Amino acid sequence: MQVNVRHKGSITILDIEGKVIGPDTLALKEVIDQQIKMADNEAENSERLNLILNLERVQMMDSSGLGVLIASYTNIRRNDGRVVLLKLGGNVRSLIVMAKLMTIFDCYDTEAEAIGHFL
Amino acid sequence: MGERTEQVITLSLPSSMQHTDLLKAVVAEILKETDFTEDIQERVNHAAIEAGTNATKNGNRAGPGAHTTFKLTLTHDELTIHTPADSEVFKYKPSETERAVELSLPSSMQHVYLLDVVVTEILRDADFPEEVREQINLAAIEAGTNAIKHGNKEDPLKRAVILFCLDEDKLTIIIEDEGDGFTRKEVADPLDPENLLKSSGRGLFLMEACMDSVTYQANGTIIKMVKYKETPQIS
Repeated sequence: MQVNVRHKGSITILDIEGKVIGPDTLALKEVIDQQIKMADNEAENSERLNLILNLERVQMMDSSGLGVLIASYTNIRRNDGRVVLLKLGGNVRSLIVMAKLMTIFDCYDTEAEAIGHFL
Repeated sequence: MGERTEQVITLSLPSSMQHTDLLKAVVAEILKETDFTEDIQERVNHAAIEAGTNATKNGNRAGPGAHTTFKLTLTHDELTIHTPADSEVFKYKPSETERAVELSLPSSMQHVYLLDVVVTEILRDADFPEEVREQINLAAIEAGTNAIKHGNKEDPLKRAVILFCLDEDKLTIIIEDEGDGFTRKEVADPLDPENLLKSSGRGLFLMEACMDSVTYQANGTIIKMVKYKETPQIS
């Protein structure tokens, strides 16, 4: 699994690639937690984390990976930030549907729409 | 992984199947855990192919029911692939498992990737629909995670043993751990509204959702999962 971090204005985009399974899910959690922490440090500028998780290139995700998405969602919300999911592949989508989490996550099919969520 | 830790992974293959690709895939995955240089990795891969090819030949001579067991020992700076000599290669299995591939792992979470690799290789030439393959892969990873993390509590001295048995119409996976076991009905339902936002507790649920049957034996220390190529028709 690989994670690339990029920024568009006040929005942070994580492009996640590969299989989000096993111990790699912890690496993803670390990257997200770091973003939460960084946003928190800048909070005096009233910057809260606006995060897009781009899952287009995720080939597979297990329950630990899903757990990381959920933990990120609750942590970011607790810090007044927002997180959306971008480009769910069939695998990830069916995982989220099975876990009855479609209503929890805001999901978008294009980056422009996902960015629009924060504007 | 501690520098002095020796990790022994065994892979037991029925003589009726080609060993090379599976052995090569498993070795390549194990090498990812090491900091061996690319050059050395390539040489190890070649050696694995050689060992696999020889074992296939020997296995063919041994006839049906025979198994070849590869023992892969990994330390921080060494990977040993032990392919038993002709005379000691083959242990015979009871008929139920004679066609099964057996993977035995020390309980380190790093090894769950091997389950993905082995399932992928076993199903490579079987005509399971793509979606079904993905479901099996996920269930195998979840079951391996459960055995290593919750069953064996990542104790490197305890092993997780996984059997994969491919039939014409189905794949059966049996996972055994050395933990204390559990009672299925005592595990909370992840779809219960109060559990929806919990970050863990979905492993068993996903295994059951992905496979056609999941049964818990020996107090939950043995889990048997079956997936059919086609959804079974209820007559």
